[in-house]
Amino acid sequence: MAILSANKVSVRYPGQDRPALSEVSLDIGPDDLTVALGPSGCGKTTLLNLFAGFVQPDGGEVRFGDDRVTGPGADRAVVFQHDALLPWLSVRDNVAFGLRLQGVAKAERLARAEEVLRLVDLPEAGNRYSWQLSGGQRQRVGIARALASHSQVLLMDEPFGALDAFTREQMQELLLKVWQQARRRIFLITHDIEEALFLATELVLMSPGPGRIVETLRLGFSQRYRAGESARAIKSDPAFIALREQLLATLFDHRRQAEEIAA
Amino acid sequence: MNALEHTLEQKLADVAVGKAVPDELPAAPLAARTAWWQQYRRGWLSLISLLAVLGGWWGLSHSGMVPPLFLPAPEAVLAKLITVSTQGFMDATLWQHLAASLQRIVLALLAAVLLGIPLGVLMGVSPVARGLLDPLIEAYRPVPPLAYLPLIVIWFGIGELSKVLLIFLAVLAPVIIATSHGVAQVSRNRLRAAQTLGASRSQLLWFVILPEALPEILTGIRIGLGTGWSTLVAAELVAATRGLGFMVQSAAQFLVTDVVILGIAVIAVIAFALELGLRLLQRRLAPWHGQLD
Repeated sequence: MAILSANKVSVRYPGQDRPALSEVSLDIGPDDLTVALGPSGCGKTTLLNLFAGFVQPDGGEVRFGDDRVTGPGADRAVVFQHDALLPWLSVRDNVAFGLRLQGVAKAERLARAEEVLRLVDLPEAGNRYSWQLSGGQRQRVGIARALASHSQVLLMDEPFGALDAFTREQMQELLLKVWQQARRRIFLITHDIEEALFLATELVLMSPGPGRIVETLRLGFSQRYRAGESARAIKSDPAFIALREQLLATLFDHRRQAEEIAA
Repeated sequence: MNALEHTLEQKLADVAVGKAVPDELPAAPLAARTAWWQQYRRGWLSLISLLAVLGGWWGLSHSGMVPPLFLPAPEAVLAKLITVSTQGFMDATLWQHLAASLQRIVLALLAAVLLGIPLGVLMGVSPVARGLLDPLIEAYRPVPPLAYLPLIVIWFGIGELSKVLLIFLAVLAPVIIATSHGVAQVSRNRLRAAQTLGASRSQLLWFVILPEALPEILTGIRIGLGTGWSTLVAAELVAATRGLGFMVQSAAQFLVTDVVILGIAVIAVIAFALELGLRLLQRRLAPWHGQLD
């Protein structure tokens, strides 16, 4: 399968003196769950928007396999933090929406929607509406919608950022289950260090001023979860905690440097 | 806007009831006595104020202080309702007057919706269209229809076209403004989500933009209908032979005050019914309105 890659991409927004992203390169392979972690202003949202095709780079290029990414497309589905479901459609029609746009027959797309809703543990919710659901349920519908179409990549824009801590943990576990079963590569951005460490097979640490990648780590905590270990056991493992503190220290270091340069 | 007013009013009413009443009366019998009142409080209050106006009217007209020429008794107006609807006034029955007015309103509304929604969408999605059209609409919208009525008569004569055109212009501006506002406010995430699911530009319009703007569009139509009704009388000043506005006008010239009051009441009832119908439609078509995350 093709690789989704950013090659030395730079983005500068009008009216800002520092680039939002400066010469960032990143490959997302077929089996990766890549997580970009960083404070606000580090360019992680811009990077996701580049992969999605919402933003065009001022320098460098984004490629998906042999093709240059020039706009949004059905091969790269996006899960947003909020406000992205269509409230006038039932949950089932929301999930089947992408297939409807592509002209898939009604019976087939509704069957597919039911299948995906079962995958995200919402088998009973098909007839309900997004405004009747809780925040966590809405995010599951968002994930189901992204899975229902035949995208090869899931781009997730702080998908659990608006959820309470308990729901957030449940959703992280659900995501790993879905990732395993749906066999879809994922690029997820977050500012939650635990979430990043727990989910990522590849962790990209980003820092602001200008936005760039400062460290890349390959991690195995999600494999341990898939092998049957409990999420709490993994997150309270001394190795996990040590890494968490180390990442925090690195982030603070970069922040101090950026502030010194700015001053 | 309306929902906001409603909830605010409701909250204030709840505070008033919850704070003031239990202090004066024991709780249990109060609950039993006020359950029916609580449930339909707004309806009861509306009924009380209507009955108070009717009672005042009845009392005043029977006191002998005001001659019937200025204020006919309620029962005289009611009797007039029967004669006007069966025998007619100025060569047409009440129903024929009503039909003439409704036809003008409906034609004007249809034309305003058919032209206003596409123009509003265009202004909502294209800054160029907004730049071109906005000054035109904002220039004519605040002008009272009576002010440009003479010009319309000079250009289009005194026929049916001028009357419908005047009402049409009154309905058009609110429809365009509400539509463009609704379209411009469509959530960027919803548009982007639809794009990543493979939506083309026209699919974005039909499946995302128009449904999301629908509640605003309906609000625009509601406001437009309100201004349309208020323009009706002005429109029917010009060489009309039928219509509720014409009926009221000519009755006033002959000092038939009971027909004047009857006409005003019919206009009020119809306008109110249309408003309620549109609110109901809005709730049916857009139950999510005001409930989004």
